[in-house]
Parts: sequence; structure tokens; C-alpha cells
Amino acid sequence: MSDVPQTIADASDRSNSLFDMAVRHRAILASVFLLMFPLIMPFKALAANILIYGLYALGFNLLFGFLGLLSFGHAALFGTGAYFCGIAIVHFGLPWYVAILIGTLGGAGMAAIIGVLAVRTRGIYFAMVTMALAQCVYYLFYQAEGWTGGENGLRGINVRVIDIFGLKFDFLDPLTRYYVIAAFVILALFVLSRILASPFGAVIEAVRENEARARASGYNVMLTRLLTFILSGAFCGLAGALAALHLSIVPIEMLHYETSGMVVMMALLGGMGTFFGPFVGAAVFMLLENLVSLWTVHWQLIVGAVFVACVLFFPAGIWGTILRRIHK
Amino acid sequence: MTKKTRGSKFITRRRLLTTVGTGAMLAASPFRINVVKADEPTIKVGFPVPLTGPYGTEAQDQVRAAQVAIAEFNDAGGLNGRKAELLVRDDKLNPGEAATRALELIEKDKVSFIVGSLSASVQLAVNNVTKERKIIYNSISQSDEINEAKDFSRYTFHEALNPHLTAGAVGRYAFPKFGKKVAFLTADYAYGHEMVRGFQEAGKAFGIETVIDVRHPLGTSDFSTLLPRIQALKPDILCISNFGRDQQISLKQATDFGLKKSMKIVAPILLYTGRLAAGAQAFDGVIGGTSYYWGIEDKVASAKAFNDRFRKMHDGKVPSDYGAMGYAGVKVVLEGAKAAGSLDSEKVIPAIEALKYDYYKGPEYYRKCDHQAVQSVLIIESKSKPEKGPADVFNVISTDEPSEANLRTCAELGFKS
Repeated sequence: MSDVPQTIADASDRSNSLFDMAVRHRAILASVFLLMFPLIMPFKALAANILIYGLYALGFNLLFGFLGLLSFGHAALFGTGAYFCGIAIVHFGLPWYVAILIGTLGGAGMAAIIGVLAVRTRGIYFAMVTMALAQCVYYLFYQAEGWTGGENGLRGINVRVIDIFGLKFDFLDPLTRYYVIAAFVILALFVLSRILASPFGAVIEAVRENEARARASGYNVMLTRLLTFILSGAFCGLAGALAALHLSIVPIEMLHYETSGMVVMMALLGGMGTFFGPFVGAAVFMLLENLVSLWTVHWQLIVGAVFVACVLFFPAGIWGTILRRIHK
Repeated sequence: MTKKTRGSKFITRRRLLTTVGTGAMLAASPFRINVVKADEPTIKVGFPVPLTGPYGTEAQDQVRAAQVAIAEFNDAGGLNGRKAELLVRDDKLNPGEAATRALELIEKDKVSFIVGSLSASVQLAVNNVTKERKIIYNSISQSDEINEAKDFSRYTFHEALNPHLTAGAVGRYAFPKFGKKVAFLTADYAYGHEMVRGFQEAGKAFGIETVIDVRHPLGTSDFSTLLPRIQALKPDILCISNFGRDQQISLKQATDFGLKKSMKIVAPILLYTGRLAAGAQAFDGVIGGTSYYWGIEDKVASAKAFNDRFRKMHDGKVPSDYGAMGYAGVKVVLEGAKAAGSLDSEKVIPAIEALKYDYYKGPEYYRKCDHQAVQSVLIIESKSKPEKGPADVFNVISTDEPSEANLRTCAELGFKS
């Protein structure tokens, strides 16, 4: 459930077995939390949304937090996943699990295309290139009205029953829907945790910390970046596919640059470069929006003020600050 | 370094933080469950509309009008004593948010009906959610697609006008009077495209000639490069098919460029709220369609009754066009429930189908195949100067009477038999 940049210095000195154990089993702890999560949420559809956007932010964070590349075009990956999943069901009548796979691969494929063109740049240029390419993707889907519904969005992603190993679940039931989505998100959490713990994960962080040294050590920096971008695309594509199934529609707004900006906000709010931070960010972001907009039409003012306060007082993000306090 | 001594307290501190964190989250959740349960459950009507964003003014008026319908229903005794309640949600003009809110309304609040939305894509999103869950949805925003067999379900009702009907009515009025050479200035999205299609289909009967169709992106603030091109072609009529702020700005600039001297400007929909915001000069002499204008109260008794109730509840204000649809949308489902004597969707649907009603603008009913409200379209012209108070902005110059012949046929929409 937690993760602190594991530099050599701070690990053993004040060896705290409980905390270390938490770090080691972060994926399990996060999963347990996600399973109990809908019980404390105002309504299940919001909990499922937080899960989906949490996964989206998680995928983004792999690139932003761990590799150190700020992308402003992640909506393209998220939206492509959603549209591919939706089109597979609406136009080809494929079963839901194939559609999720297609959505995930779609996100990864789109990331490969954008990545090949973008990874040569860094810093602000990388952000601009990804944003420009994402806008191209937006218009591509916007104009392909026969496939995507264009302005009106793609409708009719109606999955009523989830059948798996002979078992049938009612996908219209809110709690069932949450747990089906949670199953995929938890799977993604374990995969991500494994990736980060692998030698490749160490290379990712090495590139972030010092690109020249990583190159001097014999690592292919470009390839590492491209692979990470594609992996990030797969996570975002999966999130998009789950969003399409959850809401039974894909609005064109999913590809809009606001969706790209939102995920940056979520990652910063939760804590970039932490394992569970993006979820915290997504949860805080969406909860605030939902709750405050219920009692005043001026919700943007209040939510904005909270964000400013967060950025001022928790520069490491909410989860990042909590981790730092605990670990001191 | 001093921090090191705190190492031993670490566990308690961590516990404290966890406890505080969990406590805060738990405190956040009952925050939402603030509706005190009444003894007898109320009839809940979900009302997702874009309270914030570019159509906020119209949406807030829809809420005001819907409250009138609820109050009326409750004052008349409700459904065997059961009162109705309006659950307003902000859909932020975003289909994803609207779908989430519709899920909330159905799954958590257990609404019996959903009425609302103010954009084609949003209503299609809500419709997809409601039809899967067999909840009656009455849309109060323009769209052609919601009538088509692909999106329609028996749980779908459409109280608003649709672009085909609106643009058709304006075209049928304008083309024989002002000429055959027509130019279009169109917002480049579904709404604009559907309006142009409506104009052109109506124009076929009059042999109109399209001299140019200029498309502009949503949210354009400068039309100065587009307007001279249109002016040079000397059309008889300029159809401006855009909405909200785009409409205000394009009309203002068309006036400044002197387009009104050489051609007649028509718009499929003239917004009451838009006219109030932009002022008389920009809209002066522009002809357009509308579902409702409060000024018909001199001739239509139901409009008078509705306006008076609205004025009484909302300190003397008059309802806007889109607002009035919020009233009718809510009123229809509640009257349907009353006629059926039940909240069961399967019983309410035939009851609504059987309604022949005159709630605020003259006779209306729902066509059987696509549940489109067959209703009149008012052709209005903007006044140079308000005569009777600031709300007196339009003249009703003609009424396109309700007729199924003005809608696309059921077969055209893809319905079999």
C-alpha cells in the first residue's frame, strides 16, 4: 500500500519491520483497501469511477513519477482504450473479456505510435509533443463518426452479464460491477508492483535519477523510455476499457485535453512517484468534485481553493506527505 | 537528528494517523447521506442538468420550472398522498459525469424517473444508462438521434423539439417569404449539422439553393473572416445554426458588418436567455424558432396559468423556452404515474403514451413509435425595443401547428412496421 523511494541509506538504519513489511506487500495491502473501499463511498458508481481513474493515474504515474517524463497527452491512451473496447462490443459483438483485452492493447498500441515520435524529446518539449499528438487522436476519433459516434459519443456498450468459468454475474448490480472492475484493477496493481520491483523497474528509476549515468552503465535509455511509455499505455488502456464497460458509453470528452490535465492533477495531488498515491489523488479529486457540487453551484471555487492549499502545503502530494511523516 | 528519538513512538504515531485518516473518510461518507428519510417514501424524480458551464443560465431556469411542476403535483395531493421530490444533479455538460450521476440516481437514490439534460451527447448517455435499467427517461434537450431506432427504447421519451422539426418550421416560414438563395453559418458539431439538414430538407419543397455552408468551431469569438465571404455571395437568407454564446457573438458581428441590410437572418432557435444577455440591437429583426415564449399567454390559457404559477414561485420572473420544457418534462412523468396509479415503468409507459395534454403551450401528445412529443413550433422575431418591460423581447409571428407530418417518418427513423 505504500512505497518510499528505496534509497540505500534510509532502509535498515531504523529498521522498522512493520513499515518494511507494508512496503514489501504494498500490492496486497492496496488490494485489501480497494475491496473495502465501496463501503465508505457515497455511492458505488463513484467508487468504481475512482477505481478507474485511479488506475489511469497509476499508469500515468509510471511514466511521470517513476521515469520522470511529463506527458500531457495521456487522454489519447485512456480514450483509445475506451473506444477500442466499446467498438469491439458495439460493432463486432465480441465478448467483454476480448473487448477488455482489445482496449488494453489499443492503449499500448497508441502509446507505441505516440512514443516512437515523442521519446526523443524531454521536458517541456515532451509535454508539447504528446499533447499535440493527443489532439490529432482526438480529431481522428471525432471525425470517424460511423465508428465512434463523433460528437454524440459511442453508445450501446451494454454488457448485462459477466460470465466467467461458468459463473454468471449480474453486471447491472452496482456492487458486482464494482468488484468486477476491482478484480482487473487489483491484477494491474500486482503487475505494476512486479514491474517496479524487477531489474527493469530499477532501470526506469535510474534513467529518472541520472540519464547520463544510466547510459554510461550500458542501458538503452530510448528503449527504456519507449517501453515504459507503452506499459503506461497498457495500464491507461485497461482503465479506459473498464470505464467504457462501467458507464456503457464512451464520450468524446474522454479524449479531450482536459482529461490529460486531470490525470496530472491527480498524480500531483496524491503524490508522484509513490505506488498508491495516484489512487489517493483520484479519490480526493473525484470525491471533492462530487460532494461539493451537490450543495453549491460554485463548487469550482471551493475545489480550486482546496487544490491550491494542497499544492502549497503538501508539495509531495497527500500520500507522499503521509509516507514521509511516517518514515521520519 | 532530534527526530531520531521519536523512533520509539513511531507505532503510536502511525496508528494515530491511520485512525485520523479512516475517521476522516468515514466522516466524509455520511456527509452524503443527508436526506432524512420521511415516513412515507416520496416519489423521486432525478434531474441532471448542466448547472455549471456555458448553459448554466438555461439549466438553472429548467430547475426553477421543474420545481413548479413538483409543487403543483404535491398541492394536488400527489399520487394517493405520496408526494414528489426533485433530485437535482449537476451533469457539468459532460456525458461521462451525466452517466455517473444517472447511475447514482438510479442505484442509490432509487428514483422512479429521470428528466433532464441540455446537450445531445449528454441525453444520449443518460438514455443509454436508463434504458438498460428500465427507468423512464424524459429528455428536454434537442436531438435528432434520440428518436432513431438505434438509441430509442420504450423507456425513452423526448419532450423537447428536435432539430429536424425546429429548422423545418423556420425554413417553411422563411423560404417562401424571403427568397431561395440561402447561406449557412454553422457551428461544426452535431447540433449544427442536424439543423442544416433540417433546413435543407424543408427547403427541397421550395427549391432553395445553398450558396455556401460555412462551418466554424464551437466557441468561436471572431467571425470577421467568415462574414464578408457570405456577404459577397449576396444570399437572400442567412441561416445561423449555433447556440448560446456563439449565437450572441455571431449575431452581434453580423449586425456590425451590415449583413442585415442585404439579407434576412434566421436562426433555428432564438434563445430567450441569449437575447436578454446580448441586448436588443444584435437580435433586432432576426427570425427564429422556439418551443415556448411566455408572450403567448394572451392567446393560450395553459401558458397563462403556467406563467402565473412560475411568477408566484420565483418572484415575478417569467419562464424561458428551455425552462418551460423542464416543467413539461417533469409534469408528464408525474401525470403519467397518476394516470397509471403506479410507479411501475411498465404501467406508466402506456399511460404516458395515452396522454393528450395541454400543460403550457397548447395541445401535445407522444408519437407512438419514437415517443417524440408532437407539438407546435413558434416562429418569433426579435423586437427592436422591449415595449412591456424587459422580458418583452419577441413577437410571435407564426405558429407551426403540431403535426406528425413535420417529423421524420417512423420508417425513416429505422422503426419496423
